[in-house]
Amino acid sequence: MSRFIVIGERIHCISPSIRRALAERNPQPILQRAKEQLEAGADYLDFNIGPAERDGEEIMSWGVELIQKEFDNVPLALDTVNKKAIEAGLKVYNREKGKPIINSADAGDRIEMIDLAATNDAMVIALCAKEGIPRDNEERIAYCTELLERAMALGLDPNDILFDPLFLVIKGMQEKQVEVLEAIGMISEMGLRTTGGLSNISNGAPKELRPILDSATVAMGIQCGLTSAIVNPCDKRLMETIKSCDVIKGNILYADSFLDL
Amino acid sequence: MVFRESVKKFTGKINEVEMGVGERAIKIGGENVMPFYSFDGDIGNRPRIGMEILDVYPESWIGSLKEIYSDVANNPVEWAKYVEKKFNPDFICLRFEGADPNGLDKSPEECAEIAKAVAENIKLPLVVAGTNNHGKDSVLFEEVAKAVDGKNVVLLSAVEENYKSVGAAGGMVYKHKVVAESSVDINLAKQLNILINQLGVKSENVIMNVGCAAVGYGFEYVVSTIDRIRLAALGQNDKTLQMPIILPVSFETWEIKESIATEEQMPEWGNQEERGIGLEVSTAASLLTVGANAVILRHPKSVETINGFIRELTA
Repeated sequence: MSRFIVIGERIHCISPSIRRALAERNPQPILQRAKEQLEAGADYLDFNIGPAERDGEEIMSWGVELIQKEFDNVPLALDTVNKKAIEAGLKVYNREKGKPIINSADAGDRIEMIDLAATNDAMVIALCAKEGIPRDNEERIAYCTELLERAMALGLDPNDILFDPLFLVIKGMQEKQVEVLEAIGMISEMGLRTTGGLSNISNGAPKELRPILDSATVAMGIQCGLTSAIVNPCDKRLMETIKSCDVIKGNILYADSFLDL
Repeated sequence: MVFRESVKKFTGKINEVEMGVGERAIKIGGENVMPFYSFDGDIGNRPRIGMEILDVYPESWIGSLKEIYSDVANNPVEWAKYVEKKFNPDFICLRFEGADPNGLDKSPEECAEIAKAVAENIKLPLVVAGTNNHGKDSVLFEEVAKAVDGKNVVLLSAVEENYKSVGAAGGMVYKHKVVAESSVDINLAKQLNILINQLGVKSENVIMNVGCAAVGYGFEYVVSTIDRIRLAALGQNDKTLQMPIILPVSFETWEIKESIATEEQMPEWGNQEERGIGLEVSTAASLLTVGANAVILRHPKSVETINGFIRELTA
């Protein structure tokens, strides 16, 4: 099995400093967060520009070039609902270190992101959802299958799709947690890869509890087959947990200094 | 249906490491497939063979070898020159048996002089092997590294107990190649590489001796260890294990009773020299097919045989 893939979530327009940096085309705050995440061990960086309806194309291509140029063509997840912005980002993306990931498609309005991935030989995160939160796993798997069939009809390699079962917040949807883990298991049993916005689960919990909840969830998810997640790589406990899980699963060879790598 | 040959592609690649300087410098490693699997991809540099010589007269070696080297065996420089001219291996391994604290206990300075003289009188790359006494080796290699500055020599080897001094002097100050030695312990092999790297020695200046044994002496464990190391290096793209592997085969195969016992002692085992060669050849051939990038041998007949073996498999 391959090592767990860490997609760093910290360049996100929900953060005021990033939103401002995007608006002003100010490289510094973006590069700073990219650096921190890479040093903490991120494999991919998510670049979230929000809906960016007005100048999405320009922002996306500016940011992709900026980050890749500074950090040796680090692979990126291009994160927006704006299809034209994704296309603009893909045009300037350098594939030397890995394919771009389109974040994200779903079985609803955003299903055409699958087509975009197929045409551009990109990877894509496929949300097993249509409108809002899927009712149960039957619905999740139905969406998963729908997305998979569309992708395969277009010639997209199933390995290039990361299925997202939609992690749900513990505080408020505690009774849904096991279901999400089971969904990961079901998708993995089909031989497919998975990912998800892990930090969702600890939303609203006290700051000091979030690393604990995130770590426990990722460990349980990995045991169910989770192959990657969109996380905060600067969370030391979480990264230590992921590395330990990789050792236990035999994805990396143990050495006393394995946490240093 | 058309037959389609399946090809095993790996994401990882073994580092290419250069030994020696000048026109006879060699490279080892560089493959991105299992050993000799040219049908899968790039097998990198041809595996290399080094010949063992000593800093002292080879008292414990078998009669026929003492005979071959009778004119030169008292002088390591002449011995090295003779081996280079007569047998032309890929490199020479000078082993400081005379530095052993339980033997002649030669001083590091004296050994450094010898190493320097040998390095200056041959064109082939030089591997310097220590005594296996970790304390002595650490001072020995410091002196040797200084004396052969600029010769890009391979220091065999740094272990968990002395990697700091051997790595610092050999790999950092004088820019030689350092062999990280573990004894058939896959996790320690990785750990030692990490530690040497954290010390500041670049990965491309490190070679591994992951432990060696003669056939019949826990050999399956050696083979499975090397196999797992190679699969992690290639399949998991584990950069901490992508160093080429050098194995001092002769250090093991000529020490076991099957090669020490004379024909008088064990008539049913047959000719002692043939036995020794057989053990050396079968051990080396097996290790090369599982992933060794360089082997050190003693008997000229073994060198010739293994050379032919490599030639056939890489043709």
